[in-house]
Amino acid sequence: MPALFSRSSNRTIRLTLAAAAAALVGIPLALMAWVRTPAITGQRSAPPQPIPFDHRIHVTGLQIDCRYCHSTAERSAPAGIPATTVCVPCHSQVWRDGPVFAPVRHSLATGRPIPWQRVNSLPDFVFFNHAIHVRKGVGCETCHGRVDRMARVEQAAPLTMSWCLDCHRGPERYLRPVEQVTTMGWQPPGGQAALGRELVRRYHVSRLTNCSACHR
Amino acid sequence: MTGDGRRCWRDLDELLDTPDFREALGREFPAGAAELADGMTRRSFVRLLGASIALAGVGGCFERPRERILPYVSEPPESTPGVARHYATSMSLGGFTTGLLVESHVGRPTKIEGNPDHPASLGAAGVYEQASILQLYDPERARTARLGRAKASGSEVAALLSPARLGAAVGASGAGLGLLLEPSASPLSAEMLRRVRERYPAARVHFYSPLGSHASDRASLTAFGRPLLPQYDFRSADVVLALDADFLAGGPFSLRYARDFADRRRIAAPTDGMNRLYVIEPGVSVTGGTADHRLRVRAVEVESLASAVLAAVIRQSNRPGMPGRQGIPDSVASVLRGVEPPPRHREWIDAVARDLTAHAGRTIVVAGERQPARVHVLAHLLNAALGNAGRTLRYIESPITEAGASSHELGPLVEAMRGGAVRALVVLGANPAYTAPADLDFGAALRRVPTTVYHGLYQNETARACHAFLPSLHYLESWADGRAWDGTASLVQPLIAPLYGGKTEAELLGALLGDAEASAHELLQDLWRGRMTGTDFAGAWDEALQRGVIAGTAAPETTPTWQWDAIGSVLSRSPPPADSSLELVLEQDPSVYDGRFANNVWLQELPDPLTKLTWGNAALLSPATAARLRVATGDVVALAYRGRTLRVPAFLLPGHADESVSLRLGYGRGAGDETLAEGVGANAYRLLTSDMRMFGGGLAVSPALGDDGAPLRDRLASTQTHWRLEGRPVALRATLDEYRRDPAFTAPQRGRVLSLYEPSPGGGDQWAMVVDLATCTGCSACVVACQAENNIPVVGKQGVLDGREMHWLRIDRYFEGSAEDPAVLMQPMLCQHCEKAPCEYVCPVSATLHSPDGLNEMVYNRCIGTRFCSNNCPYKVRRFNWFDYNAEVAETERMAKNPDVTVRGRGVMEKCTFCVQRIREAQIAAGIEGAATGEVRTACQQACPTRAITFGSLNDPDSDLVRRRAEPRRYAALHELGTEPRVQYLAAITNPNPELPRGDGGE
Amino acid sequence: MATAVSSGPAQLTDRLLAPAWTPSRVWWVLFGISGAGTLVLAGAVAYTVATGIGVWGNNIPVAWAYAIINFVWWIGIGHAGTFISAFLLLFHQRWRSSINRVAEAMTLFALVNAGLFPLLHLGRPWFFYWLIPYPTRMGVWPQFKSALPWDAAAVATYFTVSLLFWYLGLVPDLAAARDRAPGRTRRRVYGVFALGWRGSGRQWHQYRVAYLILAGLAAPLVISVHSIVSLDFAISQLPGWHSTIFPPYFVVGAIYSGFAMVLLLLIPIRRAFQLEDIITERHLDNMAKLLLAMAWMLIYSYVVETFMAWYSGNVYERYTYLVERPFGPYAWIFWGMLTANVVVPQLFWSRRLRVSAPVLFAASLLILAGMWTERFIIIVTSLNRGFLPSSWHFYVPTWVDWSILFGSVAFFFLLFFLFLRFVPMVAISELKQQRHEASTAASAVAAR
Repeated sequence: MPALFSRSSNRTIRLTLAAAAAALVGIPLALMAWVRTPAITGQRSAPPQPIPFDHRIHVTGLQIDCRYCHSTAERSAPAGIPATTVCVPCHSQVWRDGPVFAPVRHSLATGRPIPWQRVNSLPDFVFFNHAIHVRKGVGCETCHGRVDRMARVEQAAPLTMSWCLDCHRGPERYLRPVEQVTTMGWQPPGGQAALGRELVRRYHVSRLTNCSACHR
Repeated sequence: MTGDGRRCWRDLDELLDTPDFREALGREFPAGAAELADGMTRRSFVRLLGASIALAGVGGCFERPRERILPYVSEPPESTPGVARHYATSMSLGGFTTGLLVESHVGRPTKIEGNPDHPASLGAAGVYEQASILQLYDPERARTARLGRAKASGSEVAALLSPARLGAAVGASGAGLGLLLEPSASPLSAEMLRRVRERYPAARVHFYSPLGSHASDRASLTAFGRPLLPQYDFRSADVVLALDADFLAGGPFSLRYARDFADRRRIAAPTDGMNRLYVIEPGVSVTGGTADHRLRVRAVEVESLASAVLAAVIRQSNRPGMPGRQGIPDSVASVLRGVEPPPRHREWIDAVARDLTAHAGRTIVVAGERQPARVHVLAHLLNAALGNAGRTLRYIESPITEAGASSHELGPLVEAMRGGAVRALVVLGANPAYTAPADLDFGAALRRVPTTVYHGLYQNETARACHAFLPSLHYLESWADGRAWDGTASLVQPLIAPLYGGKTEAELLGALLGDAEASAHELLQDLWRGRMTGTDFAGAWDEALQRGVIAGTAAPETTPTWQWDAIGSVLSRSPPPADSSLELVLEQDPSVYDGRFANNVWLQELPDPLTKLTWGNAALLSPATAARLRVATGDVVALAYRGRTLRVPAFLLPGHADESVSLRLGYGRGAGDETLAEGVGANAYRLLTSDMRMFGGGLAVSPALGDDGAPLRDRLASTQTHWRLEGRPVALRATLDEYRRDPAFTAPQRGRVLSLYEPSPGGGDQWAMVVDLATCTGCSACVVACQAENNIPVVGKQGVLDGREMHWLRIDRYFEGSAEDPAVLMQPMLCQHCEKAPCEYVCPVSATLHSPDGLNEMVYNRCIGTRFCSNNCPYKVRRFNWFDYNAEVAETERMAKNPDVTVRGRGVMEKCTFCVQRIREAQIAAGIEGAATGEVRTACQQACPTRAITFGSLNDPDSDLVRRRAEPRRYAALHELGTEPRVQYLAAITNPNPELPRGDGGE
Repeated sequence: MATAVSSGPAQLTDRLLAPAWTPSRVWWVLFGISGAGTLVLAGAVAYTVATGIGVWGNNIPVAWAYAIINFVWWIGIGHAGTFISAFLLLFHQRWRSSINRVAEAMTLFALVNAGLFPLLHLGRPWFFYWLIPYPTRMGVWPQFKSALPWDAAAVATYFTVSLLFWYLGLVPDLAAARDRAPGRTRRRVYGVFALGWRGSGRQWHQYRVAYLILAGLAAPLVISVHSIVSLDFAISQLPGWHSTIFPPYFVVGAIYSGFAMVLLLLIPIRRAFQLEDIITERHLDNMAKLLLAMAWMLIYSYVVETFMAWYSGNVYERYTYLVERPFGPYAWIFWGMLTANVVVPQLFWSRRLRVSAPVLFAASLLILAGMWTERFIIIVTSLNRGFLPSSWHFYVPTWVDWSILFGSVAFFFLLFFLFLRFVPMVAISELKQQRHEASTAASAVAAR
């Protein structure tokens, strides 16, 4: 009676077993890595906007303060997306009739809002409040990145819970003086370590890691 | 789901283009409506819609749908996106208004609270007021007008009413014109009606409400020749006798009365005094449950007992050493001389009379609306004999338009309709086709009228029977005004542009006068321009809008002029023979009122304070009577009364009077657009007769048989199936004397329990709550408040039957003592926020754990739904989303959701959070200011009329909370378990009359 | 004598493998029935996952019911296999050889069923993996104070070990099947699973060592798994759950129901395949004795539980044990449970009944039902009347609950019938070895 299996089949079996073992460990690891990639977190994604609003020009070029447009950042949960009329004062002088500016004209004419695309989006069970973060010395840059260098605004941070907790568990590593909140590319004089501890004390910053701080 | 969301959005975008909206932009207030275009509102919605997906796991993992942000075109100055604002307005019910503060999130009213400046509210809000927000967003509200079968524009229907068209039909004098409204105290309506009467002198104007105050008005007409309204001051009353009067709940002024009454019941120390409440009533009302002594008698006997009390009082006043008889002439006194109480009640009556006379001048006798005029007259006399007038009560002219007049009777109008004298009938608001006494057969009479126009929120039974229909505006969309029970006038201002268009009552009456485009806003301003004190009208107007009351409009006290002859003759008319037959008692429903709220799911699912029934009514009777009739809870019985029969399930209610069956009105709604209400419960109006007596003898009860001849049974959805405490230390109670003898009687139920764990750290804010069982009446305002604040879903009748109701805060009702005459114990039960919480350590994923400020947190988005926490919760206050309860919520109803609270999806646990969203909001605000956390008030605390709920931080030494927690009668429910709850109770204290045996059958 | 020895094993092997080659009509019928039942299970599960566990009868306060009852029941049943294989092996109970294969298979299939329920009963089953300690993107971990993560771990471990143990035991027989199977394909299939077993002395030696080690690993698991499962209840403070006796109590109950299930399966097999000479009366007798022993340990637990409730003087404990269970709305289930678990096994005091297959079969059936209702009593009657009388509520299962219960039973038998069809159902090699040793011993005696 002929042999059931060829010699090679031993190796095949061994390899198969080895592969199975590897998959058992590898697949979960791969998944864990995958959910942390920008593909999933949306980090660095920059959705197209109805108007090619260029922060480089307005922030770096014209030195306009963030709060001129995002006016409620210090008062309310949302930082505030500027109303159409906010553009008008300047743009009644410059760039009035460019095709680029058509949506603004249309909005003013029809009284219908400009449909911006949301860039930084949190799940709906997360309650984030800009005002308190700004008042405790969390810089715009810390979460939104170098907006002054963005032609089209992109999501700078992964916005995962562990990313939030990273700061909530050790705020001293990220805080800056309130006066410097809107400064882009700010460097802590004399190093973050000392200053951070000082600011934590000065602003009564607590390590808020209880759930209802964000989930209600 | 997001798909729905977008559709929802398109609707609202369209809404932005409606004329109402453009008009609204121009108007003074509803600029807020413009904010409907704002991105944050949109975000809030997407949040609501998205949350359920997110929680359902889809969004929970990673993918997030791209959202649009729609900012303002030009930012309105008064609003900051993300910051809620409160506006004052007022709601009218039963003719009287209650002042409200309405929370608005960028143009979207989401929550109704009481207005502290308004005399009828003092900051509290009842179940009707709070649930009315859902009515605004009810998807089944009428959206368009109707002519015949065809849809029509509002103006077309208005044109129908124009003098040109109408005059032809009803004659120049309006002899053929009929107007049917609800009783109202609104100055604007009164003014408009006056003008209508000018234009059509012969018009028939009638007011109808099945629950109106007609009897008391007629009584005061008899007694004083004027429709006077007694204004009680319960703060200065030591002894109160309620003659079948539920003054603590459901009435036009009960929020205020409950507050005043509770102020005399809330005792900080055993040495404090307390008022005493006697109640004579057939069923068990909220007031009756609170009473120190309840005499359960059939409603028909109340009258004879009242006169017996009066007789006894007069007798005792004659004794030397007693204050004079307060000038009741012999002509009247002599009539009562012979009156004796029935032997079995003699002891009770005499004791009460002695107690009343002993406290003469510091007592109040209240007669119930349901009782006939004679009982109200007797109450007036008792108050006079006891010298209460001017001390504990004062009289004012009733603010109700044409109070007590014959125009408040429906009969004559229906006669005229049937006789063909009415050529055109306009019905405003009321729903007579449903609520009119059955023997009037309003429907048939209506068919005899050539032109009928209905004006209301819904296409209900009456609307269906009318030729033309014109939607009215919800009060949150309208400009109007009204007067409170004490005459205080307040304005009604819109919180949002009309969702579907329509007209207010004033605007419709305007159309009747030829001004088809009348604007309520202008009419209102024109009216008050003349009436507001002060030269600067604009200023006065703004102040009236801001404060929610018009200064100095409370009605002045008037001294009554007694019509002794009339009174004498009324009294001498021998009372109807109190036959011993079975009686039927009809009563206002604590949830759906007269049926107008029957389409409101919050109210349908709100447990009745006493029976804990939801989604329907039942024939309530005492265990003894039930035994005699051989019926058990759930058996369907046929109630045969004055030639009509009604099938309704029976329900045994301990403490109910024997030989009496009480039945709540407002259920069994007929065919109409209100599909939710349709067929829920039985229509008690079918047993209401045109004499408008809400009760009477001669009722026959028999078990109802099915077609197969088998007795029928029905499943009653009650949220509490077990009534006894089983001797467990949960709801504690003592009499005042016991409390004084042993102030520490709750000591075994408080203090630290031996524990291996460290006591929890107590820095910063440490939130806690104290609930005073002595002042909790069980009115359930807190339950609705919680539901509105925390986006709590409803589960429907089947859900309740399955034991899946979602209320975070429930009111447990226990009966102590005999089943025949028990004492009633109300205990609000909510998450106790245990410091050693059993739910926390069993959760495998830490979805529920403790916050540094002492909250037991529930993290919906972390919960995977093992339900272990609920199993281990000794208080069973955790609720589980067995299905996606928000899936069926209509798009408009989503607008009522609170954007500060996550909408829970399927499969997660939820429970009371101590309104954590309010706490965090306050802490963030404080953090921004760099100040200490300000006062935080939970929704339930805010709504409570009796201030039974106190909330605050344990580390705030001069807070009410700390003070009340120091009271000797404090205790923790199930203390011995060592859960160390942050919610603690103050044991109920009653003040029984030592002369009388305890009502609860001893112990 | 020698001939007998040489011919015996071969015949034996063929006899025991025969059913694998030629399925009877009966097999197809049973296969069809259990298959249909499995479809019902699949339908009910799909419906539940799609709609929400609201389709079950659960409510507040009875937040756990059938799913958890079934889970505990199946896990319990899953104990006998490993107990028989591991313990009896370690204690050199040779009679185990003829039944351990069936028992181990039964264990696996019971565990497969048991594993279904903890996932299914979750409100959001798609997040079950949050029970596993791994570095999440949320930066949070499971809570190890709760018994549930341990529970998941314990069950998973137990399943893995049982699987290995079973498979290892199979290897020589698979080889036998490989060598005897008709047709090349079957031979190849069995060949793959036989992992190139040749039966050389070296292989046998390593095989025995590995088998012994696994037995050593498995034995403590028998104790640990159900102890941990019992903690799902014992760590709560609910009267009826809050009890220190739970771990041993649960383990005993588990083995009790396990043996009952083994008997329930063995007796028909013994009959169907005429294995009376392999699964002898001695086996039945021993099993019955074990049942009796377990029953008494269980009775002890019942007594202690109830006594403690009374002795504690705690009103809630007393109510649950002395009022709710014996006289409450579910009293009839309680008394039925006692009859099945306490009265029935007393039959086994008589040897005649111990060796009577019909009696044993009926008894095991009753005991299995009894053990299911025991879990019903423990879970439902503790929850439905807790501390606050205001929250007391009745529990009624829905048709979905029933279909899932019966569906899972059908699924169990489906797997079992497949096992009978494709895997040697008796540990042939062990049997042969024993017989060989026996006969050599006999011949040695004869020689002297």
